Parts: sequence; structure tokens; C-alpha cells
Amino acid sequence: MIRGCERAVERLFFGAAFISALITISIFGFMFVFGLPLFSGGRFPEIMTRPWAPHLGVFGIYPMIAGTFAVSLLAMVFAFPLSMGCAVLISVTGQGRLSRLLRRTVEIMTGMPTVIYGFVGIFLLIPLVRGIFGSGSGMCVLSAALVLAVLVSPTMILLFCDSFERVPPSYGHAALAAGATKIQRFLHVTLPCAGQGIIIAFTLSLGRAIGDTLIALMLAGNGVQVPASLFDSVRTLTAHIALVFAADHDSLEFRAIFVCGMSLYLLTAILSLLARRAGSKRRQQ
Amino acid sequence: MEPPVKIRINSLSFCYNGRKVLRHTSVSFSTNSITAIVGPSGTGKSTFLMTLNRLWEELPNCSLQGTVEIRFNGVFSNIYEREFAVEKLRRQVGMVFQTPNPLPMSIFKNVAFPLELAGEKEKDFIRARVEEALQKVRLWDEVKDRLSESALSLSGGQQQRMCIARAMILQPEILLLDEPTSSLDHTGAEAIEQLLLQLKQNCTILVVSHYLDQVKRIADRVVELRDGQLCSR
Amino acid sequence: MMRFLEKVLPLFSWLCGAVLVAAISSVTGYLLFKGLRGVNLGLLFGTTDPVAALMLRQQVFDGLFPAMVGTLSLVLMSVGWAIPIGIAAGIYLAEYARGRTKMIFNLLFDILAGLPSVIIGLFGFSLTLFLNRHVSEALRPCLLISSIALAFLVLPYIIRTTQLAFESLPVQSRMTARALGASRLQNIVHVLLPQAFPGISSGVILAIGRCAEDTIVIMLTGVVASAGVPRSLLSPYEALPFYIYYISSQYGDQQELARGYSAAILLLIICLFLFSLAFLIKKGARYRTLYRP
Repeated sequence: MIRGCERAVERLFFGAAFISALITISIFGFMFVFGLPLFSGGRFPEIMTRPWAPHLGVFGIYPMIAGTFAVSLLAMVFAFPLSMGCAVLISVTGQGRLSRLLRRTVEIMTGMPTVIYGFVGIFLLIPLVRGIFGSGSGMCVLSAALVLAVLVSPTMILLFCDSFERVPPSYGHAALAAGATKIQRFLHVTLPCAGQGIIIAFTLSLGRAIGDTLIALMLAGNGVQVPASLFDSVRTLTAHIALVFAADHDSLEFRAIFVCGMSLYLLTAILSLLARRAGSKRRQQ
Repeated sequence: MEPPVKIRINSLSFCYNGRKVLRHTSVSFSTNSITAIVGPSGTGKSTFLMTLNRLWEELPNCSLQGTVEIRFNGVFSNIYEREFAVEKLRRQVGMVFQTPNPLPMSIFKNVAFPLELAGEKEKDFIRARVEEALQKVRLWDEVKDRLSESALSLSGGQQQRMCIARAMILQPEILLLDEPTSSLDHTGAEAIEQLLLQLKQNCTILVVSHYLDQVKRIADRVVELRDGQLCSR
Repeated sequence: MMRFLEKVLPLFSWLCGAVLVAAISSVTGYLLFKGLRGVNLGLLFGTTDPVAALMLRQQVFDGLFPAMVGTLSLVLMSVGWAIPIGIAAGIYLAEYARGRTKMIFNLLFDILAGLPSVIIGLFGFSLTLFLNRHVSEALRPCLLISSIALAFLVLPYIIRTTQLAFESLPVQSRMTARALGASRLQNIVHVLLPQAFPGISSGVILAIGRCAEDTIVIMLTGVVASAGVPRSLLSPYEALPFYIYYISSQYGDQQELARGYSAAILLLIICLFLFSLAFLIKKGARYRTLYRP
């Protein structure tokens, strides 16, 4: 009786895990099946490399891929040093109260709604960029990347701090006993030991930056072109999906967003796997 | 006259994380006696205890071969046989760990917990048994007015005695103790030694210990674990 | 090189801290400066009588009340889907799954957790198309579909926090009850679940916050700019974050824009409140849930 109950509950738990896993797989399945008309007949390379010109029957997503990388990589260029600096301030150079206060602020920032960053970005940052650099509408790669950097930094800071804290304190004590200052201990002991943790933080944040839709949609201008400068308007893969999904459901134009979806799926899945590998390497150390 | 055998171990091999803790070792333990298990640290004395209540099955990367037979109601049965229910086994083989491990509940609930797990619902019966067990470990007078307080508020020695009471409440025929006094001070250790001498009247006790003088004071027999073998000393 | 870094690092870290604090205070400061005046009862109900609106006797046309109702029902429904499945899956992963099975599940949930919300939204949308074609013509993007898609979005949060809460319990407290003869399920129900409860509930609250702020998933699965209070599960609805997004690009006059600022403040308050709650529970409630008389 009790045995049977135990087994039934275990099956129930397994069922829940199985359904969740099935969702992950079927999302990919849906992307693939809906995008199928574009894959057939060897048109796949064409889609990935051609420009987007629906009126000419050309549905390449190359400009969107370029836009995604331009925005997210530039955001990481801003966010990485910023986060590293803040993490150092919290766990090394800051003193008691102040570093606790900063940490609390950063924790709260992770709970900020994305749409608020976008909203303030439109009315505060865009006019600033337009005024200072005096080019076009102000909706460009730079604006989106700046806001995106502020958006991904809090999580990255906390992950950095976490990876510093995981370094066994005995290492640090050894360094201090040898006469190192706090900063020397950090640079010579903590930082080299936290290597895998830093990789994890970077990949996860890059995935977040690539996957973000709202900031790019609101601030990057959504112009379909391969960006040549920081002030060009671009459209990311994510924004492209949000802009085109209402198109005629049988058109190839509509089908093309599933190719965007699949590229994003694969891209973020690879980043998750990389972070996972770094995590298991860290456990072995 | 030699007391009858309670536990009979036959050609037992045990592997933990790729390390052979036991290699084809055979040994018996007699009823209602105290056996001390000694040996260099890290040889796997604690894991050996876990082969007697199958608790190692909760650890990762373990494997076991051989038989462990325990005599219940005059009949020997192999505890690794398929139909032997593991929960039933653990109710008859009590275990006390190196550091006291009170569950985050009240003192009363802690001691009564095994009874409740076994399906006992009678309130008065549970109360009487809890009192009896706490009397046996001489903790009753110290805690009878604060039974509903958290067990975490007890001192280390009190916690360990409470854990023994909890292990004793189902009146097991065998009690396994893994260095039960190593986290206690002198008086706490002495109280537990006295307790073990008293408990052995109707219980087979196996105790892992590091302290040779303690072993001399309480053990009827000393067994050493070395190179995967258990030999009498 | 190291000498130079040792000299520069303190200054650099202070600079970064200052930049971050400046960024976040300018965002919140700007919002408060522009929108605080508009945060009052009129923001929610416009010119309609609040009591009549709450009783659903009158429609609110010039207030945020329908958006608030939409967001609230959305959050309740999606968390309602996600909690049972998420917690059960988390327990399975922490307590039952071993070896290869565990590895594969872990892998898939990592991928699910990393998927952009727009993919989840697109999945919800294509699911609607599929159901519309093969099951019933009546199925269009609606509250029900949105809540299911959002549940997919927050499922990994709940799975992961549950799993983590269970796995980080000390080995000893896991062994204790087992040594006393508790079965696996008894051990989970009597010993592990009470101890893991703070971790799980903070995960649930974070999931609620994520549902409340999401804009993209609902944009692809049924939210609209004006629909009034949702009439049924199968009808379109309004939501607070989408209202803010919509205003930012489509505002007609200064009055509407001002309402957008106030709506942003409202959303900010809701999310920060939920976030602090999750934080408090994980830090403070431990002794309350751990100790059972």
C-alpha cells in the first residue's frame, strides 16, 4: 500500500519534469516545422546571407543577425568593465556599510522591469544622444547598447561577486600572511581562481543581451541595414520577430521569423551549454 | 557460556568512491554486547556501520557484495535480500552519528518522530514512550518542562543524548554509534558511556571510537579495521 | 603591469560604482520627477466612480484599472500553472533523478531558462495558430494562451529554486530521518520540504515579478491597447507593462504621456515590492518555517 503510493508519487514528479523537458523540445520543433517552407530546396544559406527585401521576394535575415551582434557585443563592451569595477568595489575596495548598501542596490536593480528602462531611455537618453552627436533620430546601436549594458550589469555584478566568494578563504589567508595587501590578494589570488566563474557570468549575460527584445525594439530604431557606425539605426533578430509576427500567416515573410527564432534558439542554447561546461569545470577544481 | 550470535557478516566487500573499504571480510558480533571498532582514521569505519542498516544506499558511487545476516526473532535473514524492506530494517537497527543531528523541530517531536513515521497515532502511547526513552538517556529531568522548545536550543551533550533517545524509541535490537562522544566534553562523554553500559542489557551495540581508554572502559570486544579486514584484537 | 593595475584598480572601481549609481538614480529620479504628481486614485479609475468600477458595474475608459485587472489575472493564472509543475519537477530533479537522466533534464532546463522571452512568445503564438487550425476556430490570442506561455517562461525559475533549495540542505539532515526508518517520500514531506520552503517561496515570488513585468510574451499572445476588463479566459485583455510600451510610441497628447509616466511608477512599485518580499522571506522567514512545534 505504502510502496504503491511512493511509486505513484515518484511517477507524478517524473511526469512534471518530463512535461517541462518536452516544452523545451517542442519549442524547437515548432520553430522548425513553421520555418520548413524556407528550408526546403536548399534555400537556407540564402536566408542567412541575403538582405531583407520582402517586396522583391528576398527574405534574408543577414542584416538582423548583424544588428543583434552589433547591439549585444557593444553592450557587453560597456557592461563587462562596469560590472567588474562594481564587483571589485563591493567585495574588495569598498568598506562595510557602503559595500553592503551598493550590493543591496544592485540586488534591487535586478528586479527592475525592462519596459521602464526602455521608457526612460526613449524620453531621457534618446534626446541626449541626438543632442550630443547630432545625428538622425538618436535611435541607434549606441543608445540601445548603453541601456542594455545597464540592464545586464546587475546580474553580472552579482555573479562576479559570487565567483569571488567561492574562492576558498584559506588561499586568501595565505596571501595575506605573506604580506599582500587586499588589492594584491584580489589580483594575484582571487581573480585567477575565479576564472571559470567570470566566464559563466559573461556567457549568461551575453545570452541575456542577445535575447533582449524590448530595449532593441524601443531604442535601436529598427532600420533594416547592416550597421556601419555606432549611430546607425538597426533591427535585431528579436525585434524583427516582434515587428513581423502580425504579417499574413501563409506568407514567406511570416515564415522567415521562425528562421530568426531558430537562430536565436540555437545561439542561446549554445551559450547556456558553454556556461554549463564552465560550471562543471569549476566544480572539478 | 558464549552468548548467541546476532550479526553474521560473510565475505563482505564494499567500495566507496572507487576505494575499497572492505575486502571479503567475515566477522560475527554476539548478542547484547558492546563491540568497539577501532583503526586508523579514513579507513571507512563509519561507512562500515552504514552497511549494517543499508544507509550507504543514500550515498553516491557505492557498491557492495557479500551478505550481512541479522538474527531477528531467532531466525537469521540476509538484509540485502530483495524482499527485505529497508525501512523496516532501519527501525530495528538504530544509528547515532558523530555530531548530534537534531531535526529542526521541538524536542518532543524529534524523539517521537520515528514512531510517527512508523504509523503510530495513539497520542498517550507516544507520550509514554517519549518519556521512557528520555528517562533512559537521563535527559527527562532536564527537559521535561521544555519539551515544546526547539531541539536546537539544547547543549551539545544534551542533543547527543536526545539523538540516542530518538534512536532508542523504537526499541531496536541493534544500536550503531559513530564516535558518539567526539564532539562532547568530558562529563558529556562519561554520561554516554554509562548509558551504553546500561543499554547493552537488551541491545547489541557497535561503537566506532578513537579513544583507547574509552574503548577499554566499555567494550567487551575490540575489532580493528585495517586493509579492508575486520580482525579481533 | 600588475603594479599599474594595483594602483589603478581602486580608482576604477569607485568610478564604476559611481556610474552605476548615477544611471539607476537618473532612471528612477526622472520617472518620479515626471510622474509622481499623477499617482492618485484618478490614475486607476479616471472619472469613473471607483466603487462602481471595482464591482465591474461600470467600464473604466480613462484609467489603468482594466490594465491592473489584466496583469493581476495574468499573474495569478500563469503562476497557478507553473507552481505545481515546477515544484514537482524540481523535487524530482533533486531527490530522484540520478546519472544520465538527471544530466539530460538539467541540460534541457538550462536551455529553457536561457531562451529569450520573444521565443516563448512566438511559441505561444504559433501554438495558437496550430490550435486555431486544428482544434477550434474560436481560439485566438487571449488571456488563457498568454498565461500558459508566461508559465513556460517562469517554469525554469521555479524548477531551479526548488531544486537548489533541496540540494543545498545538509547531507546530515537528509540522512537523519532515513536512518530512523523514514521512506523517501516521508523524508521529503516531513523533513526536507519544511526546510526548503523559504527557498521555494522566494523563487515563486520572483516568478510573480517576472510575470508582472513581462511585455514581449504577452505582446505576441493576446494583449491589446484597449479591451476593458477581460470578460473571459478567451478574450483579449490589457496589461500594465504593455500599456507603458504602447504609450512610449503611440501617445496622442501630453496628458496621455503623463499617465504613461505614472503607470511606469506604479509598475516599478509593484515589482520592487515583490522583489523585497522575496528577499525578506529568504533571509528572515527561515526560523519561522524551520521551527515546527
